[in-house]
Amino acid sequence: MALTLYHGEPNGPSLTALTVLFEKGVDADLRRIDLAAGERHDLPFARDMEVAMSIEGEGPVLVADGTPMTDASYIAIFLDELKPEPKLRPDSAIGHWEVLRWARAIAEVLAPAASTLGLRAYLAPKLSGRPQSEIDAIIAKVDSVDLADRWRAVARNDYPEAMVADSHRKLALFVERIEKALDGKDYLFGDFSTTDIEAYSWLAGMPLLSPAAFGDRPRTNAWMERVKARPSVQKALALATVDDPAQSWAPGPEHSRWG
Amino acid sequence: MKTTLYHWEPNANSGKPMLTLVEKGVDFESHYLDLLNFDQHKPEYLAINPMGTIPAMTHGDLVLTESSAIMEYVDEAFPGPKLMPDDPVDRWKVRWWMKFMDQWLAPSFSMIGWSVFVGPSVRQRDPKELEAAIDRIPLPERRVAWRKAIYNTFSEEEMKESVRRVTLGIQKLEETLSKHTYLVGDSYTLADINAFNLAYALPLSQPDLSNDEKTPHIMEWLRKVYERPATKKTWQMGKTDMAARVKILERGNG
Repeated sequence: MALTLYHGEPNGPSLTALTVLFEKGVDADLRRIDLAAGERHDLPFARDMEVAMSIEGEGPVLVADGTPMTDASYIAIFLDELKPEPKLRPDSAIGHWEVLRWARAIAEVLAPAASTLGLRAYLAPKLSGRPQSEIDAIIAKVDSVDLADRWRAVARNDYPEAMVADSHRKLALFVERIEKALDGKDYLFGDFSTTDIEAYSWLAGMPLLSPAAFGDRPRTNAWMERVKARPSVQKALALATVDDPAQSWAPGPEHSRWG
Repeated sequence: MKTTLYHWEPNANSGKPMLTLVEKGVDFESHYLDLLNFDQHKPEYLAINPMGTIPAMTHGDLVLTESSAIMEYVDEAFPGPKLMPDDPVDRWKVRWWMKFMDQWLAPSFSMIGWSVFVGPSVRQRDPKELEAAIDRIPLPERRVAWRKAIYNTFSEEEMKESVRRVTLGIQKLEETLSKHTYLVGDSYTLADINAFNLAYALPLSQPDLSNDEKTPHIMEWLRKVYERPATKKTWQMGKTDMAARVKILERGNG
């Protein structure tokens, strides 16, 4: 199967997709795009529904024999199903359920929180120096109305205090969940999995932005070091074209609107 | 191993694992919780699922939550017809659709449903009793949701956004179903089960957006899913008029 991965700097969902590829030893043509400049919307399939309306927002796109796929947690599962060894998920129906349950928590709790804090700290100040016409040109390319709104929010640095506080709260909740899961284990399910990769990828830049969430969380902090030290993660991080890829963010998923 | 499903009406999140279990032919015990009577926040149920969300399933000693994840578990753990494709790209597609519905389209349908149905259904009860019921809800997000529904404090802006998403979602479903029989190709999958739970009452709830003239492919797909014996059996498990709405899909009705 011919695979091409369009990815941003190795952080968040792009770091997940790259790391899973390297862990699995799957060959793919790697093409870096600047997600924070809206380059994803220049791709020929940018208006396909599965790309334009991806819940993840500005994440990587894996093209498999012409089908563009989005949402890094499902790209990870796809790669694990495509090439069964080395296994990156527990090998049972209940293990697969665990992976999906964590993926939901990552998508609803961790990802919007990390994305909000990352965008506010790094992309918003960067965009504030750019001419409005440049920002308008990016937004004009974005097909999804709600994703375009998230671009407008970052361009105006419009992150209400309540949203920031909610992001810190969600992050702390998620780290607490990791701390509990790691009781007596090196990785979340014992053996290393796509869930470790995905959680780490969103969390990599967070100790700096939400330090309180990581205070008194020895197992989580040791796990972060353990995941980061893996050759696959190191190989992905080496693709960075900036000093600290954990500071690279593009508009991600929204906070849930209801319930 | 005994299987028990804790659920409300065959509708939205409750209906997803119900229909999946029935399609697979799993012999399960049905434990009905009345959402409008706050059964899901009572101690008996919190002992099973401390988050107080519906549905939940027990299989032997295992306790499972998250309706879409439960659907995949049921498909994998039990014999019966396969509801996930074999091809990894198609499996990705099923998951993409389920996430799109769970996190983008369903919350908008749900917000409208809670404002026009759930809120008014419980609003007239004793205010003190309602406040006490809200205080017993474990998740802060759910407390906010119930308060909004009961006191009808949805903002005009958020309702407008929900209507926009429902309108666009219906268009996207119609486009997709005009290309193949089911959401992911020509086989019936978990994506269809998920979407049917969201869309079965569309001709009644959104008659201007979804009808035989505007969305013929959605209508044909809804009728086809309704005609499956498992769908009929599942909707018969409903106890309210809500589930009875499914009869609009009888050919010749509406």
